[in-house]
Amino acid sequence: MPTLTLREQPNVPLEAESLSPDVMAGLGLDAIRALPVYLGKRQRRVDEFFEVAGTTGDALEIRGDARKVKWIGRGMTGGRIRVTGNAGMHLGAGMKGGAIEVSGDVGDWLGAEMSGGRIRVGGNAGGQVGAACRGSLVGMSGGTILIGGTAGLEVGMRMKRGIIVVGGRARDFAGLEMLGGTILLGSGAELRTGAWISRGTIISLQPIPLLPTFSYACTYNPTFLRLYARHLSTLGVSLPHDERDGAYQRYTGDAAVPGRGEILVWKPRDS
Amino acid sequence: MLRITGGTVHDPANGVLGVVQDVCIADGRIVPKVEGGRSIDATGMVVFPGGVDVHTHVAGAAMNFARGITPENYRRAIRFIQTPDRRAGLGGITPTTFATGYMYAGMGWTTVNEAAVPILSARHTHEEMHDIPILDKSSLVLMANNEIVLDLLEAGEVERARQVVAWLIWAAKAYGVKAVNPGGIVAWKSGKNAGALSEPVEGYRKVTPGRIISGLAGIIDDLKLPHPLHLHCNNLGIPGNVGTTLETMKVLEGRRAHLAHLQFHAYGGDGWGTLRSEATALAEAFNARTNLTADAGAILFGDAMTVTADGPWEHVLHQLSGRKWSNVDVENETGCGIVPYTYKERSLVNAVQWAVGLELLLLIDDPWRIFLTTDHPNGGGFWRYPELIRLLRDADYRRECLKRLPPKALERMVLPDLDRQYSVSEIAIITSAGPARALGLSRKGHLGVGADADLALYEEKPAAGRMFEYPRYVIKAGEIVVEEGEIRAVTQGREFIARPAFDEQIEAYLRPLFEKVYTMSFDNYAVELERLAQPDIHPCRP
Amino acid sequence: MGGKVTCTLGEVKNRADFIVYWGGNPAECHPRHFSKYTLTQKGRFVPEGRKGRTMVLVDIRETPSGRAADIFLQLRPGKDFEVLTTLRALLKNQKVDEASVAETGLTLAVLQDLVDRMKRARFGVLFFGMGISMTRGKHMNSAAILRLAAELNAFTKFVCMPMRGHGNVTGSDMVLRWTTGYPFGVSMSRGYPRFNPGEFSTVDLLVRGDNDAALILGADPGATMPQPGIDHLARIPTIVLDPKVTHTSRLARVHITTAATGISAPGTVYRMDEVPLPLRPILKSPYPTDADVIQRIRQAVAAKPAWTPAPTARIANA
Repeated sequence: MPTLTLREQPNVPLEAESLSPDVMAGLGLDAIRALPVYLGKRQRRVDEFFEVAGTTGDALEIRGDARKVKWIGRGMTGGRIRVTGNAGMHLGAGMKGGAIEVSGDVGDWLGAEMSGGRIRVGGNAGGQVGAACRGSLVGMSGGTILIGGTAGLEVGMRMKRGIIVVGGRARDFAGLEMLGGTILLGSGAELRTGAWISRGTIISLQPIPLLPTFSYACTYNPTFLRLYARHLSTLGVSLPHDERDGAYQRYTGDAAVPGRGEILVWKPRDS
Repeated sequence: MLRITGGTVHDPANGVLGVVQDVCIADGRIVPKVEGGRSIDATGMVVFPGGVDVHTHVAGAAMNFARGITPENYRRAIRFIQTPDRRAGLGGITPTTFATGYMYAGMGWTTVNEAAVPILSARHTHEEMHDIPILDKSSLVLMANNEIVLDLLEAGEVERARQVVAWLIWAAKAYGVKAVNPGGIVAWKSGKNAGALSEPVEGYRKVTPGRIISGLAGIIDDLKLPHPLHLHCNNLGIPGNVGTTLETMKVLEGRRAHLAHLQFHAYGGDGWGTLRSEATALAEAFNARTNLTADAGAILFGDAMTVTADGPWEHVLHQLSGRKWSNVDVENETGCGIVPYTYKERSLVNAVQWAVGLELLLLIDDPWRIFLTTDHPNGGGFWRYPELIRLLRDADYRRECLKRLPPKALERMVLPDLDRQYSVSEIAIITSAGPARALGLSRKGHLGVGADADLALYEEKPAAGRMFEYPRYVIKAGEIVVEEGEIRAVTQGREFIARPAFDEQIEAYLRPLFEKVYTMSFDNYAVELERLAQPDIHPCRP
Repeated sequence: MGGKVTCTLGEVKNRADFIVYWGGNPAECHPRHFSKYTLTQKGRFVPEGRKGRTMVLVDIRETPSGRAADIFLQLRPGKDFEVLTTLRALLKNQKVDEASVAETGLTLAVLQDLVDRMKRARFGVLFFGMGISMTRGKHMNSAAILRLAAELNAFTKFVCMPMRGHGNVTGSDMVLRWTTGYPFGVSMSRGYPRFNPGEFSTVDLLVRGDNDAALILGADPGATMPQPGIDHLARIPTIVLDPKVTHTSRLARVHITTAATGISAPGTVYRMDEVPLPLRPILKSPYPTDADVIQRIRQAVAAKPAWTPAPTARIANA
């Protein structure tokens, strides 16, 4: 697989939608070096910023602190990207298939409006993970996003389908205007989780503040969570569900819409 | 100087229906002959006068409002990349100003009539028009819910109403008068609407929608405005509204008038479940009434943006469709409602609407009285006019499209039975010659000596209607602005405005009244002539 | 962006009988608002003037605007979104959690009363200020109040309007919209307009250091931005056009003094309700207008070796 090592830090953001298995499929290394990237208003070549080595293939490796490199993996339909380091905004935006893995942090708009594929981030993510673009009615409609660290504002905003897992704390408005799908908050979130949700499930393993428009329904161990837990464990995510360990407090809302979404908050036994 | 040789010219206003002849241009006008200059070999091409859009929404508060609430639409829109000679822009269903000019010109249209401008924001409209390149423009100001005018009609003070209307047209630097849902927008300010033409308008005892219509039509004729009352009838979009439209036509007896987007006013049935086409009855009545012109307001399946002064209708549409809704009520004058909308083939209602637009175009006999529009952006984007042309010219294609409609819809329309196909010359009439004549633009819509040199040259392809998708050349005021799909020159168009006669004394009446009910200084209301780029004033003399 | 239901200020003057100011202090920030548009004027349909109107002030603390209010609702800082969301639910007769509501500083009973009053209004107006748009939640607070106004129209006429200030910010919004399609936060770097608040909006660009030059006109970010943004402005070539030497001028590379628009330079200003007003200069200035300076800069740039914005063509399969 071709390996791109960042050797020149761009002083302004570099827009690099060329860095995608779909674009690079079948291209030799020289052709990859010549692919366009956009430094502000000017068109440049990939090799002005990246050392390109390795072999061609449908997997792409990027090394370095590429936090100012935007749009990596945009709209990809298959293949793999591995980032050893950080990546910038819009990573995997509109993705349809394939896999992206990042060891470090990523910027805002991770997997925005994606419809398939899997993204795994070891570090922290920014805001608008799997979200709808501004004004757009629907966000993520399929696929899986797994974030080991924290996430910013509006995680899963207007998502319709798919799974987002955030290991660290999320900021305000996780699940904003959600239409469906699942968000798992491993360390809870700040304010206004599930604001204006219509449908969908938000699972929080830590207590979280809730809007007044959410009503407590019951405490129980939902059956479907056993299936979820099994699925998530194949992804390396553990979801507590055993009644010996605890149960979930179920809240329904958001009455402002009125929506039929749910927030499940884990309550360990003896707490 | 320019000579176009060997093209097949369609200039129906001058009786030229597909004749191979040369066209000579000098100083922006058609001339009998020309020495030197460039020559375009138009062999195998059809030569048309540039398109004239008699009813569109392109510049001002309403469109800018629409732009702001749907930023997501621009992501899928055509992009105009900035070059040293050309500004950037975005197309889509609410094109930005520069893009509007490029897109219309790119289609072969060279004159547009902005159909709805509040006087209060006319200054804004003119600023946007300044930023629409290439095209010549005109605008119509909204009058049928102007409370100062309505109060005068209520009091029976027709003469003073006439003075006020004339003053307002000149203050707005407009070309003519638009009436939208007469009385209904005033009522919407109390959350209501106007229904029957003979019922007093909300807040009034004597003034009815019918009275507003006849009053304004009379005033406009008296003022000798080049374009008659341009009327968006009451009850737009409502099942069964054909009755209102027929009644409106009776009210207009003896007066000139132009009925806007007639498709939206041609429905039978008594509810959404029974909506059907009444285009046949409407066309029959329309054919008999030669005092009227109309534009089709046809819909095309796909995304649209409903933008209209008809606020109450937009609230209904929002409740029906669940789509985003925006509304602005404009003090003392009018309002605007916006709902993004998508017309779907599988929707019974939309299928009927689609048929009605075509039925009207096919059943109204005289192409000089029915013009091609989609009420952009309400029925569909203006750049889709070639699709409409194809539907009018190719009955087989129409039949193919009919097959995709829900079978129940076919029972609600007569389109399957209509075989008429528009000729190329007839297309020239409904897209150029007819609208120019109805607008009173004597140098537009034809290629006679003295006319403005606005032309579109199309490749004469075998497939009917498709020829209009890509003009080979578009010439505006004698300059080649589009060549083989590329913008070659970005020129500044003119603005047509009317100067009807009024007694300066009317300001003494208006000033104190204005300061009472408006919220700006009277001296800030009228738009200064200097603000317009290239005004072209129609003197309104008998 | 979920839709906006509004009106021009004259409609408020002529019809409004219920006015809510939320997160703003018009008495000090829009000093003629009450007298010109909203409270004391005798309107065409509110001939009793002040007596025919009820004014509700919603804020985290009492301000001089409170003196004009019939009802003052004091909510806790950072709770606007919670209150507005609750109001939306109450409007639909939905259940809300009473204890949670009380944490906002306002009780369920008070909010229910507000909803009832709003529904009974003949023509209601929600004006909102920076207490909504600039506090935690930001655009979602604005969305909440706009949505509430839209939903109230199921019961009565209700509109919503932002209390915009700071010179001609509305005008810049208008012009950007008609030329680019977007109101602010517009990037032209790829040759055509792109919009993304948070990515292309000023404070975010400056704080992240995503730009390598700045031209500042009619604003003073050196006074208002977070420190990292100010530091960045000081590092990069910054050009300021302003009638006065501003905080930003002091850290800029170039300051060009220009004539004050509205006093010495003509133009158009757009009011908070987007109504355009002509500016008629009354004094002469020795300085060029902003427009003159920008034109001259453009001409100088045009004379430089040609380049075109990055062509956004066709990366296969991108």
